Amino acid sequence: MKMEPAVRLPVGPETGHSPAWMRRIGYVLLYVLLSLVALPQILPLIWLLLFSLKNNQEVFDMAPFALPATPRWENYVKVWTEGNISLYFFNSVWITVVSVVFTVLFASLVTFAITRMRWKGRSLVLGLFMVGLMIPVHSTLIPLFSLFLKLNLTDHPLSVILSYIAFNMPITIMILLGFYYALPREVEEAAVMDGCSVNRIFFRIVLPMTASVIATTAIINMIYDWNEFIFVNTFISSDAYKTLTVGVQNFIGQYTTDWGAIGATLMISILPILIAFLVLSERIVEGIAAGSVKG
Amino acid sequence: MDKVMSNRLVAALYVLPALLLLLVLVYIPIVLTGYYGLMQWDGIGAMTFIGLDNYTRLLQDSTFWQSANHTFLLALFSALSLIGYLMIALVLSGKIKGANFFRKIYLIPMLLSSVAIAQLWLKIYHPSNGVLNSFLEAIGFSNPPAWLAEPSLVLYALFVPILWQYAGFYILIYYAALKNIPESLIEAARIDGANPWQIAFRIKLPLITEVIKVTVVLAVVGSLKYFDLIYVMTDGGPNGSSEVMASYMYRQAFRSFDFGYGSAVGFFLLLICLVVTWLLRKATASKDTIQYS
Amino acid sequence: MNKKTLAMILSWTLILAVILSGCNNSGSGTSKESGSNASGGDSGGDGKVTLKFMHLWPAGSSAQQNKLVNDIIQQYQTDNPNVTIKQEVLENEQYKNKLKILSASNELPDVGVTWAAGFLEPYVKGNLFAPLDDLLKGDLGEKFIAGTTEAYAVDSKTYALPIELNISPIYYNKAIFEKYNLQTAATYDEFLNVVKTLTDNGEVPIALGNKDRWTGSLWYMYLANRVGGDALEKAINGSGKFDDPALTQAAAEVQKLVHMNAFNKGFNGLSNDEGKSEFMNEKAAMYLMGTWELPNFTTNPDIPQEFKDKVGFFKFPTIDGGKGDINSWVGGPGVGLFAAQNSKVKDEAQKFIQYFVEKWGESSVTEAGVIPATKVDTAAVQLPQLYIDLLNELNQASSLTLFADVQMKPAAAQAHLDMIQALFGKAVTPEDFVKNHQAAIDKGN
Repeated sequence: MKMEPAVRLPVGPETGHSPAWMRRIGYVLLYVLLSLVALPQILPLIWLLLFSLKNNQEVFDMAPFALPATPRWENYVKVWTEGNISLYFFNSVWITVVSVVFTVLFASLVTFAITRMRWKGRSLVLGLFMVGLMIPVHSTLIPLFSLFLKLNLTDHPLSVILSYIAFNMPITIMILLGFYYALPREVEEAAVMDGCSVNRIFFRIVLPMTASVIATTAIINMIYDWNEFIFVNTFISSDAYKTLTVGVQNFIGQYTTDWGAIGATLMISILPILIAFLVLSERIVEGIAAGSVKG
Repeated sequence: MDKVMSNRLVAALYVLPALLLLLVLVYIPIVLTGYYGLMQWDGIGAMTFIGLDNYTRLLQDSTFWQSANHTFLLALFSALSLIGYLMIALVLSGKIKGANFFRKIYLIPMLLSSVAIAQLWLKIYHPSNGVLNSFLEAIGFSNPPAWLAEPSLVLYALFVPILWQYAGFYILIYYAALKNIPESLIEAARIDGANPWQIAFRIKLPLITEVIKVTVVLAVVGSLKYFDLIYVMTDGGPNGSSEVMASYMYRQAFRSFDFGYGSAVGFFLLLICLVVTWLLRKATASKDTIQYS
Repeated sequence: MNKKTLAMILSWTLILAVILSGCNNSGSGTSKESGSNASGGDSGGDGKVTLKFMHLWPAGSSAQQNKLVNDIIQQYQTDNPNVTIKQEVLENEQYKNKLKILSASNELPDVGVTWAAGFLEPYVKGNLFAPLDDLLKGDLGEKFIAGTTEAYAVDSKTYALPIELNISPIYYNKAIFEKYNLQTAATYDEFLNVVKTLTDNGEVPIALGNKDRWTGSLWYMYLANRVGGDALEKAINGSGKFDDPALTQAAAEVQKLVHMNAFNKGFNGLSNDEGKSEFMNEKAAMYLMGTWELPNFTTNPDIPQEFKDKVGFFKFPTIDGGKGDINSWVGGPGVGLFAAQNSKVKDEAQKFIQYFVEKWGESSVTEAGVIPATKVDTAAVQLPQLYIDLLNELNQASSLTLFADVQMKPAAAQAHLDMIQALFGKAVTPEDFVKNHQAAIDKGN
């Protein structure tokens, strides 16, 4: 059943369509503009690739986009074997996945409860989460370290995962909030009349409807967690639990820095997230198709 | 409807795990930061209670207020740049071939870690053989400035990579929001004879107002707290001309070993964020949330 | 089971996991390696000792040092089979950060790395480092070069043992000098001539990356020394004052150099690495830096031999009528090893430190290109010429002035570094430069 707009939307007087050639030019201009904006976004990837194939000297000496004399693939080999990168890679992956899943799950539960359910104190709770957005991260290091020490969680991945969840929930909730407010209510009303429980409504109806924004927040969380550094650096000591971002630091020395290796590490670290992003991106488009109200 | 949706027990179950994590891991540090702010402490030895002395010192600290100025400037530019992102998202959400492709490209900078972005832009801004200056010299400017060494330019030079880093993030959010608008509404408007401009400004934008409000808060608060690229690229220099509040806090707490004062700065920053957010919410308070029905 | 229950179980499981893992770790006596907390090691009932050692030589960038450290650790563990040493490796900045955070919770590793003087002081005042004077009583005390352990002493007790010693010559590119028929300068006037000749010919005289600020500080320190002798040290430790005209003159000389365009373009916004690359790529003729750079000019295989052959050094020139002599160097001990005061295995930690310092001193020059703080017998080791020359200079040095930002207490050091950047950026006058320094020293932190 198609939805009819209940209100006549305020549009201007009948306008004739502009001539075809004008529209053509308009489109071309548009594409040019979009491409111009896109170029500076994609160049960094190319630059990173080139940089990972140079050695220290060349990195500083040559222009950023100059090709290296001989591509130093050995930077990659060195980094994977010497730098323990394979271990860090694995840690980054599972820590990110676990954190993202729980962050998005908890945030959805909370946003649903705040926007759809009625109970005293929901504004207060929302306020509490929003304030959580505002604390500068360096202020938290010493208190959290102390706390984890007391809980015997230092040098344990759980300290990092729980921190990610706690600190990313506010932003996730805020993004979800905007979307949840705009969700139509008739569907829920219909569901209630059909005798659905709250859980049914959430899991079977609302959650699928928000698939596109869930994919969005999943991407955002993934990016934050994958690239996060300071918490891992502070709470984790053993190599066994370090992540890629900390691993990159392995190549920065007391007096010298191995830039080629850093480049290789950065390339290796960007690949999985690029792939995951491309996959989830599709989901956003799909989610839109699936999100429209079904009869 | 009301009865089902007012089930307190379920609401509690939904909210409690998250709330618990938040209170323990986020609020305890907030409280402790405020507490440390009342102390004279180098972070290592004993603490001495000095009441509000750190805060009075803060209010008179011209270096801090200079960094605050820089931070507010960043927040302003961030908020303004949202307009650009919104335009791009509007274009992409229309019936454009390749929208998907562009959207993905725009998000790429966000995938990069701050280390990578910093290195990239340091190469671009390098005074003698950087991309920017090489280009300027090639087209005739004989002595382009050293972007990161000139106190009058460095802050603005830094704004570019900072804003560039987050462009994709906001474009993504706006795009998702716009795509969520039921196609039927747009169709109906088109049938009524609206042209693309009218559809964009009279229909799409009002329907995503909530999301826009959220992004404004995110952009402003994010800018107020911003730290990464400033620290890596210029360390607040030269001589404090690119210092922001978060980097100033870091410097006091971790470099000068003045942890009590650093905590006071951190807590004050939190208070500023609170006030600004409250003002923003007040200023954009909606009459009614627009819904589809 | 339906989704509701599943979701609830998931959430509460997470919370439960937290509680359980906490109980698990504190309950069991033998926590597995990965689960152990960050405090020092324990000594179990059967004499097994675990030592936690935190350092800043990651394998990726400081390969040689890292290898040497691992060799020493292996050797120690073989000689002492009941001891296991757990390493935590971080890069320089992150190391300092982490050290700070750990000390706030009194959770320092058993053995760690520290810098001297002003850096060390807060830790000593907070009773976090153990005094190591006992270790100096034996042979080891003799081995240290005069003045090195003093930098690590507070109230006549030594709190760390240095393992690095660095002096700072001016490295120069012989080929560029030859091109313009320049000689290395023995007096400052000759030096200014060199600078002028180079700028007149469109060359960059000096490579400098002053974003990190301590690099510019080297220039100021030498000038202060050449003009005023130990005026700077006196002003820093309080027995003198910053209004000593020598210190103001030194600041003025710095600005004179800046006016002459002696430094590469945009130096105040470039990192040390970026500044260094100007010299390494032969775009600048001179580079004032510590002897830790020597591997780059001698053994580093990544640097073309052709360039390495062109590098020489000369001592910072003297100033007419000034008090400093040419054999007075800016430099001093680099990092040292400390033992945590609250370590549960303090005795073993100290034993390890002694062992480490000795073994390190024997091989650090040849294996890692690092000059140790203990005496090196130049006759007995095979070294590149630059090393031998500099080690000989070291033996003839009349005095060593430790880097200002290490001498000073942390907050004052920050103020100094900020002032240096302002001075080089012409944002402050020499008069205000010294005034601000005095104010920072007066604050006492």
